Amino acid sequence: MGQDALNIKDIHKSFGTLEVLKGISLKAQTGDVIALIGSSGSGKSTFLRCINLLEIPDSGTITVGDEEIKLTRNRRGESVPANLRQVDRIRTRLGMVFQNFNLWTHMTILENVIEAPVHVQKVPRKEAVELAKELLDKVGIADKADAFPIHLSGGQQQRAAIARALAMQPEVLLFDEPTSALDPELVGEVLRVMRQLAEEGRTMLIVTHEMGFAREVASEVIFLHQGRVEEQGPPTQVFDNPSSERCRQFLQTNY
Amino acid sequence: MIDLKGYGPFLLDGFRLTVMVGVTSMAVAVLLGLLGAWAKLSHSRSVRAIAEVYTTVVRGVPELVLILLVYYGVPTLVQDLLAGFGFEVRVDLNPFLAGVLTIGFIYGAFSTEVFRGAYLAVPKGQIEAARACGMSRALMVRRVLLPQMWRYALPGLGNVWMVLLKATALISVIELHELMRAAQVAAQATRLPFTFFFIAALMYLALTIVSMLVQQRLETWANRGVRRA
Repeated sequence: MGQDALNIKDIHKSFGTLEVLKGISLKAQTGDVIALIGSSGSGKSTFLRCINLLEIPDSGTITVGDEEIKLTRNRRGESVPANLRQVDRIRTRLGMVFQNFNLWTHMTILENVIEAPVHVQKVPRKEAVELAKELLDKVGIADKADAFPIHLSGGQQQRAAIARALAMQPEVLLFDEPTSALDPELVGEVLRVMRQLAEEGRTMLIVTHEMGFAREVASEVIFLHQGRVEEQGPPTQVFDNPSSERCRQFLQTNY
Repeated sequence: MIDLKGYGPFLLDGFRLTVMVGVTSMAVAVLLGLLGAWAKLSHSRSVRAIAEVYTTVVRGVPELVLILLVYYGVPTLVQDLLAGFGFEVRVDLNPFLAGVLTIGFIYGAFSTEVFRGAYLAVPKGQIEAARACGMSRALMVRRVLLPQMWRYALPGLGNVWMVLLKATALISVIELHELMRAAQVAAQATRLPFTFFFIAALMYLALTIVSMLVQQRLETWANRGVRRA
């Protein structure tokens, strides 16, 4: 169904002498929900952060829709974006949700949500506010629009952060361990919102430790191990019948 | 009441000039401080080195020496240099400009450290969220980084402002009729040193008290969303 929303080929990334990603590829079609699982240090967060260039991959290609992100090399031979404006533009097409929410603490929830539409995408303020209110309503915190992030629970903050990502009307949503920083009793409310987004047909990439959620919601599960794709397929295959011994071990201890 | 022998308006003029010098120097100091902090955090080693020399030298030399050096030293140096090329000119520095630039230059070095600390105190996630939303660097600095830096910088800047305000008394040595100089002139003319220096002291104190109130207001504003409003 549909065209490729995201096409990532052969991403390599090292920090100093430590090679974190050893050639990872991924294709997502519109409406796909891909769960990235693996033990800590497997490279799954780094991979996600490479997609919107919060980390610059050393090599490989990233194509969002039909636009490939152009990378070049600087004088020291490091990989750098060729065109910063292209990177900024592509980032608005990839909404990102962080583990620690990262809501801007000096702005109210509403201001957080309209910030990128108004100042980056130049949407008229009135329109942006209307959309923001709809989104806050959708994630269930319409009454918190004028509160500052500090006055919200972790679960509410993360739902606000999801609204902020949605406000840019991105083609793909990137979730970097969205529930890992939450108290257990707050995890459910965030997962409920994410499930709803998946059901709406949004394209999502989710780095997660919530195996039950991955199994139920994802259309594809990718198990990373030491910077490589070790197992990949529909959830039933990965969870019930993994061909990789490492994946089997990981699932035994984590699921 | 205390008899000011008609020197009241004269003192007030000096007071006004002190406020002018203080505010203008502070503006220079804040600009230099931001620039210095940017330089200290730069990736370029030479830019960092320049900033390091700036803060080390300025903070290590007494203000009075620098003021005299700039006001008397720089014009003669320029004159001698020009004379070397066969130009006979007389260079005079405007004392207001010399004072403001020197004080701003000195307290810019202190502000550099304040802003550097403030930058480092802003959680990296705040900046990452801005980048992930497609903000350009300039927009990120304006919308996220600076508003958050103020919060951490204000207590330190308030401190710099207090010290700077009092340091403006030093530029009385370069014939600028600010409050200190005015008090001196009045004290000599009337032979009432206690009266005039005491009044000058009260005026400085009034300025700093008002400054503290303003600073509290600013901090409440900058800390919205952090402490209980």
